[in-house]
This record gives sequence, structure tokens and C-alpha cells, in this order.
Amino acid sequence: MKLFARQTCALVKLSFIELWRRNDVFALVLLGLALMVPLSMATPFGAAGASRYLDEMALLLVWGFSLFVALGAGQRLFPPEFESRTIYPLLAKPISRGRLLVGKYIGAVAASWSALAFFYVLFVASVLLRGGAFSAELPQAVVLHFAFVALAVAVSLLGSLLVTASANLSLSAIVLVGMFFFGRRIPEYAEGLNPALAWILKGIYAVAPHAEFFDMRQRLIHGWGAVDGIVFVTVLVYAAVYVSVLLLLASLALGRKRL
Amino acid sequence: MSECLDIVQLEGVVRAFAGAKAVDGLSLKLKAGEVMGFLGTNGAGKTTTIKMMLGLLAPTSGTVKVLGGDPSDPRIRAHIGYMPEVATYYPYLNARELLAFYGGICGLDAKTVRSRTDSLLESVGLADTAKRPLRTYSKGMLQRAGIAQALLNDPDLLVLDEPFTGLDPLARIHFRELLRGLKERGKTIFFSSHELGETELLCDRVAIMKKGHCVYQGPVKDIAGDGATNLERLFLKTLEEAK
Repeated sequence: MKLFARQTCALVKLSFIELWRRNDVFALVLLGLALMVPLSMATPFGAAGASRYLDEMALLLVWGFSLFVALGAGQRLFPPEFESRTIYPLLAKPISRGRLLVGKYIGAVAASWSALAFFYVLFVASVLLRGGAFSAELPQAVVLHFAFVALAVAVSLLGSLLVTASANLSLSAIVLVGMFFFGRRIPEYAEGLNPALAWILKGIYAVAPHAEFFDMRQRLIHGWGAVDGIVFVTVLVYAAVYVSVLLLLASLALGRKRL
Repeated sequence: MSECLDIVQLEGVVRAFAGAKAVDGLSLKLKAGEVMGFLGTNGAGKTTTIKMMLGLLAPTSGTVKVLGGDPSDPRIRAHIGYMPEVATYYPYLNARELLAFYGGICGLDAKTVRSRTDSLLESVGLADTAKRPLRTYSKGMLQRAGIAQALLNDPDLLVLDEPFTGLDPLARIHFRELLRGLKERGKTIFFSSHELGETELLCDRVAIMKKGHCVYQGPVKDIAGDGATNLERLFLKTLEEAK
């Protein structure tokens, strides 16, 4: 257990150093500042209630940035190790492939969460600066967003072991963004199709990662209140199960990789 | 570690990729405290053999035992140090952070990692550049960082893949002395190389591979004692005879 803890600590630290020393995250941070600072000062049409639409834009930016960071973090876990051949000295150490995968995943999630926490600090600051306030649903929304990031890292990690980097990033982004915006409408679309297509669409709906489950932006912006505890816990369980399945598949893919 | 214990034991090892045998019927033994040079032309099966010794690849048939066990067991690998032929270590880390990372992977506590890092960086000549990012390192400096990470867990068996690649003459001499020091401390060293001169200077025994087969195994002192031959001549003669 002590060995696993030390190995995981080393991998988490590596992920943090990599994420925060890479220029692309700083570019995001600067972009975030450049967008959110003006947003925090704006009062659209002089109407106090209209500022919620600025909050919505700011939240969408936070979601976009977090997805970018999570997909990048998942993608960078293994392919660079193979390209630079550091996978050999790494696996020659007393660590199994499964443990390496889990440790690296935890590291990437922790690093992505740190970036997300930073983006939320910017968002909260921009709202408070404008004289806005937060309702009780904020903690729920943040926790579900963190769970979504964990899911996105797992999706990207699995893809990185199966396809090329560009294909993985494109496919993962298409699936997650597609589900985020259109996931809840898929059953409606399926109703209007012929049975074969409807069956395929329902199949996709059953297995695709439901990014929309984690989206509480509307509740947060319009103050619709928190979701029931049971729904909240169910979504977290869904994320945990989905991530476990993805990690299991990633473990199989990594085990089959020829060194 | 007992002197007579076989640290590495390969028996009839075959490794095939898509039907083609990269290693074919290799049997090899390495005793504690020995230094063995593993020679052969490109594609002879040296790196594949090393990967099997590290548990990175499973043999298609035959047995591979290292330190009395299966090298795919992480507990066995805890006593092995490995330096790959070419590795571009994490470019955003510095040498100190690199060793701290590998120390954590080896399960070493922070205090041990710190003390070993200091002495290893000193002994490989990277103490002055330990805080520079690895992306600014030359190939030779990366090789030195590689040997430092291989020695971090104070291994009983050191496996080096082409360790002299990219080293300038001075670094080569320094590295040779480092390996000699390790040998004097009783470490078992197995390295593949194309550098026959270095191999002759360092090794107790050599094995020569050709197209997956081991075509020669013997002590270096026998070669040196011949008078008429040296390792380079033996290497060429052995490969010629094995045609």
C-alpha cells in the first residue's frame, strides 16, 4: 500500500508539473482572464437580470477550457512515453502496467482538477465583482463538473491507446461535446426515424458518455435550485462506473501494446 | 548475493514476432558480480533479449529467470536497474525532479531519494546542471541522466542497452570508471554494445548474437590471452563462421 501511495504521488506530481509547465495551459489562463475580466464589468442593456447571460457565457467558457485541459491531459499520458521511449525505464521499475495506468489517470485527473478549480475561481470572482451572488446549487454544479472532467480524462486516455493523437482528440471532443449539447434530445430524434436507424441511435445513447448529466449551468444561472440528492448521487455513481469501465478497457489495450 | 548464484538464466528462449524469430533458442547465464557484454549486429536480437530480461516482453517459448524469479514480477524488478539505448526523458523536468520521480516509482522514501540523488548526480557529472530542464541537455547528458535513474534503486543487476552511444571521449572514460566502480562493489552488469573496445576493457564475458542465435559465449580473458586475436577480430571471425 505504501509502495502504491508513493508511486501514485510520483505520477500525480509528474502530471502537475507537466500541465503547469506547458505553455498551452497558460495560454488558456490568459484567455480566461482576458474574457472573464471584461465580463465581470459588463452590465448588458443596463438591466440587472440580463447579467445572468454573461454568467452563462462565462460558465460555457469554463466548460470549454476544462474539456480542452482534460482531453489533453488524457491524451498525453501514454503516447509521449512510447514516442520518447521512457516507457521502457518506467516499466522496468517495480510497477505493473495496471498500476501505472491507474496512477497516471489519477495524476491527470488531479492536474485537470487544479486547472478547473482555477477557472472556477476566475468565474466566481467575475460574478462577485459584478455584484452577483450564488445559490445553493453551486457546490453541486462544481462537483458534477469535476466528475465530468474525470470522465473526459478517461475517455481521452482510452482513445490515446487505440488511435492517433489527432483522431483521439477529435473523436473524444465530438462525442463529449455532441452528448453535452444534444444527448438529452437523442431519444426524441430516435422517435422520428425508421426502426433500424432508431435502434442504432438508441444503441449510441445507451453506450455514449452522457456529458449532459453533469451540466447544471441552467440551474445555476437561473436559480432553479439544487437537484435531488438521489439524482446527484446517481450521476456520480454513473461517472464512477463509466470511468471504471473505460479504465478496464484502457488496461486491456495497454496490456496488448507491444513494447 | 552468493557468488555462484545465476543472476540471469535464459534457457532455450525463443521470441517470435508475426512468425519471424527475433531470438531463437538463446541460453545464457550470468553469475553474480559478473560483467557481460552482449554483442551483435543491428537486428541480431539484443534489445529483444533485454526486454525479455526486464519482463517487458514474454518469451514465445523457453524460460527467463532473473534474480531467481520471473522478471515480469515487480518485486523482482525492484532489484534491477535499466538504462535504455535512447530515451528523451521528460523534457519539462530537471535532473533532480527526474530522479525524484523515478525514486517515487521505485517506492523509495523522500529522504533516501534526496541522498541518493545528490551522490548520483555528483558521480555522473550532472550536479552543476541538475536544475536545468532536460530539454536543454545534450545526448550525452541524457545518457548520464539515464544511468543515474538506473542506479537510483541501488540494483543488484544493471542492464544497459548501448550505454556508450552519444558519449564524448571524456564522458566515455568517466562512464567506464563508473561501471568499474560498480563492478568492484559486486554489482552484476549486463550490457549490449557495438563498442568492442569498451566491451573488452570492461567485461568478464561476452556473448555474440547473430540473427537471433547466440553464436559465441566466452570469457574475455581467453580472447585477450590468445595473443593473435582481440575482441574485434573474434567478433568478425565469429560472424563470418556463423554464415
